[in-house]
Amino acid sequence: MTDLASRGAPLPTPTAAPTAAPKRVRLHPFGLDGAPTLLISLATGAALIGLWFLVAWLRLVPPLFLPGPEEVFTQFLAILDDGYAGATLGEHVSASLFRISTAALLAASFGIPLGLAMGLNRWVKGVFDTPIEFYWPLPPLAYLPLMIIWLGIGELSKIVLLTLAMFAPICLSAQAGVRSLPIERVNAALSLGATRWQLFLDIVLPSALPEILTGLRIGIGVGWSTLVAAELIAATRGIGFMIMSASHFLATDVVFVGIGIIAAWAFAFSYGMRLLERTLVPWKGKS
Amino acid sequence: MLHVQNASVFFSARDGRMVHALDRATLDIDANSVVVALGASGCGKSTLLNAIAGFLPLSDGSITLDGQPVDKPGADRGVVFQKDTLLPWKSVAENVALGLKFAGVPARDRRERAEELLRLVGLDGFANAAPHELSGGMRQRVGIARALATDPKILLMDEPFGALDSLTREQMQELLIDVWARTGKRIFFITHSIEEALFLGTTVVVMSPRPGRIVARFDLDFVRQFAQERDVRAILSAPRFAELYDEIRNLVHRPHDRSHDGGDRPQ
Ligand SMILES: Nc1ncnc2c1ncn2[C@@H]1O[C@H](COP(=O)(O)OP(=O)(O)OP(=O)(O)O)[C@@H](O)[C@H]1O
Ligand SMILES: [Mg+2]
Repeated sequence: MTDLASRGAPLPTPTAAPTAAPKRVRLHPFGLDGAPTLLISLATGAALIGLWFLVAWLRLVPPLFLPGPEEVFTQFLAILDDGYAGATLGEHVSASLFRISTAALLAASFGIPLGLAMGLNRWVKGVFDTPIEFYWPLPPLAYLPLMIIWLGIGELSKIVLLTLAMFAPICLSAQAGVRSLPIERVNAALSLGATRWQLFLDIVLPSALPEILTGLRIGIGVGWSTLVAAELIAATRGIGFMIMSASHFLATDVVFVGIGIIAAWAFAFSYGMRLLERTLVPWKGKS
Repeated sequence: MLHVQNASVFFSARDGRMVHALDRATLDIDANSVVVALGASGCGKSTLLNAIAGFLPLSDGSITLDGQPVDKPGADRGVVFQKDTLLPWKSVAENVALGLKFAGVPARDRRERAEELLRLVGLDGFANAAPHELSGGMRQRVGIARALATDPKILLMDEPFGALDSLTREQMQELLIDVWARTGKRIFFITHSIEEALFLGTTVVVMSPRPGRIVARFDLDFVRQFAQERDVRAILSAPRFAELYDEIRNLVHRPHDRSHDGGDRPQ
């Protein structure tokens, strides 16, 4: 034979018949990519609390330094009933929440538009770069005294302080969001007839959204640490204030109650942000 | 008619040197024609297309579409990119209808038109899918549907099938010919596959690199023949096809005149 090619032997037919409910698969992820960690986290939490019980029960540390879990819980119920340091627990918590939410709203409503504008416009970027780059590495507590001198000891100084602390990460991430926009996407929209405003609304904004949300998350984290520190120094109400006045009386159990409440709220906020991310940018990491 | 007259483009490279990417290109794209630009990598094909699309200003020369000078992107020139540029947060139908949304078409009509176009490119049933749920070839078809949605005067396609396997590629070529035959759109198409150029073009222009220059032009009829007879084999086995293939192959592979590069040619 001089053929350079010929037809091969017939193929075997597949043996297994297709089942009614075939196994569904998806691409192997890289890194974590949404692999469930909830159980692991819950187990870790339980282990830590167990350790706490154990340490208290064995009296390894004097209760003045580390009160046992029951003690802290009893104290929590007592504060819930009677309040602490001249205000109910609800008043302390809502004072703190009011400050952080107001400041977060202010920071987002100034930071996002300004960040987007800085990413888009040379003049806006040029003008605002210097002040932002100058103030944002400063620890907020360094200029808290200035806020108090200028704005008094009331709510205003704390809210302005928090707003400033949260503003920078939000603004910078909105800028980064605009910068990450691929030029092909812009060109595609322009050749579909987008006006500048449509380009902004339909292309720039959604493209920057993932980074904006990341910035919000970071901003709120910064907000919590600044909030508590500010209340420790200058407040008559708030969780931070509660912790501070308890420490004057060496009421360690109250300090623990305060820390627990802050932890719970901070967790709730970051969980809320994650939910927001999941509903607003479900495509993240997929393109 | 799209008219490119003596278009030249100079870039400045990062190190400050000047890159002569396009040298006095002259080209007409008439109604009902498919003009294919063919050339080796880096010879200035995308540069020419970007200029026609309005993404890139010319250093010299002019481009007009039906008498209007082209100086910025617009919905009268639909672009299909090599890399897909679908929006990941919109469904397939919303992506197709994006240009209609920009034009202010009401949502219901948009949806209808999008479904029509998806049928045209063989993707009915995928209107509600997310872009990342589609294969590369399917995404490219969405890209074509999107470019057609605003009913542009001309379609500009930059190696739209370059990343596809050869089987899908053949399907897409036939699909494009169908679309062309049905809509009568003018098409400017870039490729570095000689076969693709011969199969699709009513006109093929061959470009040489550095500076990018149109060095030859062929007028063909294979695409019209295919649109009528739908017989790929008859075209691929036509002696004229093989002749042209060889001729263009020699043109593309001819070592280009080195005198532009500073003359390291043996004397
Ligand atoms: N923005 C730019 N700045 C500097 N030089 C550029 C730029 N864009 C393209 N060039 C140069 O211009 C020349 C032509 O580029 P072009 O992208 O048009 O090539 P092409 O023919 O499309 O190639 P390919 O087939 O690989 O896509 C190349 O030498 C490239 O290096
Ligand atoms: Mg190119």
